[in-house]
Amino acid sequence: MTTPAQHKGTPAQPPVLHIAGIGPCLGRVAAVAANTLREAGRARLFYGVLGAAVLLLAFSLVLSDLALVDQKARLVQSFGMAAIPLVGAVSATLLGVVLLHKEIDKKTLYAILPKPIRRSEFVLGKFTGLAVLLGLQLAALVLCWWPVLVMRGGALTPALGRAIGLCLFELWLVTAVAMFFSALTRPVLSGVFTLGVLVVGRSNYVIADLLGANKGVFVEVPAMRALGKVLVAVVPDLSTFAVADPVLHGWSVPWDYFAAAAGYGLSWTVLFLVGAVFLFERRDLT
Amino acid sequence: MVDPTPDAAPPVLELQHLRKTFRVGFWAKKVPAVRDVSLALQAGESLGYLGPNGSGKTTSIKCLLGLVVPTGGHARLFGRPASDPHARARVGYLPESPYFYDYLTPTEVLDYVGKLYGLAAADRSRRTRELLGVVGLDEAARRPLRGFSKGMLQRVGIAQSLVADPQLLIWDEPLSGLDPMGRKEVRDLMVELRRQGKSLFFSSHVLGDIEALCDAVCILDRGVAVAQGHLSELLRPDALESEAVLGMSAQTEAAMLALRALPEATVTLTPTGVRVVLPTAAVAALCRAVADLGLDLRELSARRDSLEELFLRKAVARGPEAAA
Repeated sequence: MTTPAQHKGTPAQPPVLHIAGIGPCLGRVAAVAANTLREAGRARLFYGVLGAAVLLLAFSLVLSDLALVDQKARLVQSFGMAAIPLVGAVSATLLGVVLLHKEIDKKTLYAILPKPIRRSEFVLGKFTGLAVLLGLQLAALVLCWWPVLVMRGGALTPALGRAIGLCLFELWLVTAVAMFFSALTRPVLSGVFTLGVLVVGRSNYVIADLLGANKGVFVEVPAMRALGKVLVAVVPDLSTFAVADPVLHGWSVPWDYFAAAAGYGLSWTVLFLVGAVFLFERRDLT
Repeated sequence: MVDPTPDAAPPVLELQHLRKTFRVGFWAKKVPAVRDVSLALQAGESLGYLGPNGSGKTTSIKCLLGLVVPTGGHARLFGRPASDPHARARVGYLPESPYFYDYLTPTEVLDYVGKLYGLAAADRSRRTRELLGVVGLDEAARRPLRGFSKGMLQRVGIAQSLVADPQLLIWDEPLSGLDPMGRKEVRDLMVELRRQGKSLFFSSHVLGDIEALCDAVCILDRGVAVAQGHLSELLRPDALESEAVLGMSAQTEAAMLALRALPEATVTLTPTGVRVVLPTAAVAALCRAVADLGLDLRELSARRDSLEELFLRKAVARGPEAAA
């Protein structure tokens, strides 16, 4: 505190604040997103998951040697299309659950929220940062996978590209779910709930089939039938985004399907984000 | 200052019958943190917020900043509800034991905060330079915070609270964690900010700091404002006491009896003599006794009612039953 007294604290020329309007609002969201990206990008957790994914893809190269000659590319494709969404889902769950809670636990929020920023802008900024990070992670994994695929005689077809694109919408949805639970409860429970949504969401169509069957526990036990109906109604159907198998069997993922699935994913993402904002705005930061 | 009048301009900060009850544990047991606090701070004034640990200071400050939703009553900034982000645009807040992203440097923290206030890049860069100089962190401007001491983090906290040149500063324990030199520098900064017309609302356990820096105080005890007002009104001018130090080679029984007989006098033996504390009105009687007994009057001074005494009177005197 060495500057002359007349300059202490107050600038010679007062700064101009831009608070109101959509521009400053987006600016605040972008500021939080950039900081989230920086924070998550420096997390060991992120690099651990990324490293494991790269090893997994390298392993597919070794594994493909054991396959029949005409099945090598198919094996690498199959392996990649299973590993990439899985790794993404793990990242989305962990980062979505941890990052918001960390802000509260480490009390970094106490210096941020008293600024002219709405809690909704903060949640949206956090989500945007994670969404960009997951996109970058997905791109990095595809870049690692692509040469392996080419080495084994395969190619990154437009259908595969669209299938990977749908993974991204699923990851954003999982991130929103994780943030929703993170705004509600502690990280371990948030993680468990998010994994629950992931598992139920992926098997949503199975539950729907069981509900429509002639017999079985979902038909014969009223409580299970009610539970099944509730799960099908309130848990997003994540199998919409899991198109790896049909693609491997030659399905082209038409653009109209892609658009409908993307719209479905974004709608659920927005819904969970609205829920996260609703909960977070009512939360006392003690 | 503390009792808002309806005709006055809106206070920069106002609490009206603020209440906050937390629900804790599995059974959501009610724990009142703030029971009834009303106060107001006008532009350009400074208010010290006092109270023992757990008295509700930090909770009520959090209500003011929208971090905690009040159970009852109102918290307003510049006449607007505290939950309105626009009201917070003119507020600089320093949290108690501030925590920041430890992977950022002070420059990055101030730049981030500047973005939240919607400052243009040039303004952010200029303010960052100015404020790092103000808090003496020029040398550490590009070092990550994870290596910073508590005092250095406090300086970063002070700098980030000043980024937008706010009109109202809400500082929670601004002098904690600082070494003596740092405390002096922050005190000087607070004096300077007051001189510039900023309104200052700060909590502290150090009564001397509040007495030196504030126009008024609000004393909280177990969630209730037990005293508030200008120091000149609260520190009883009619309760002036004087203190005399007498040198006595041999403390004779007669001299001690005579001193103890003075009105409301407290006589204490010291290694070199006797210390007498008595109402200023009784000083004349003391002087007569000194002359009559042939004692050596070494020192005679007036003792003003201190904030510490006021604090003890108001907060401690309520007793444990007040919490019920």
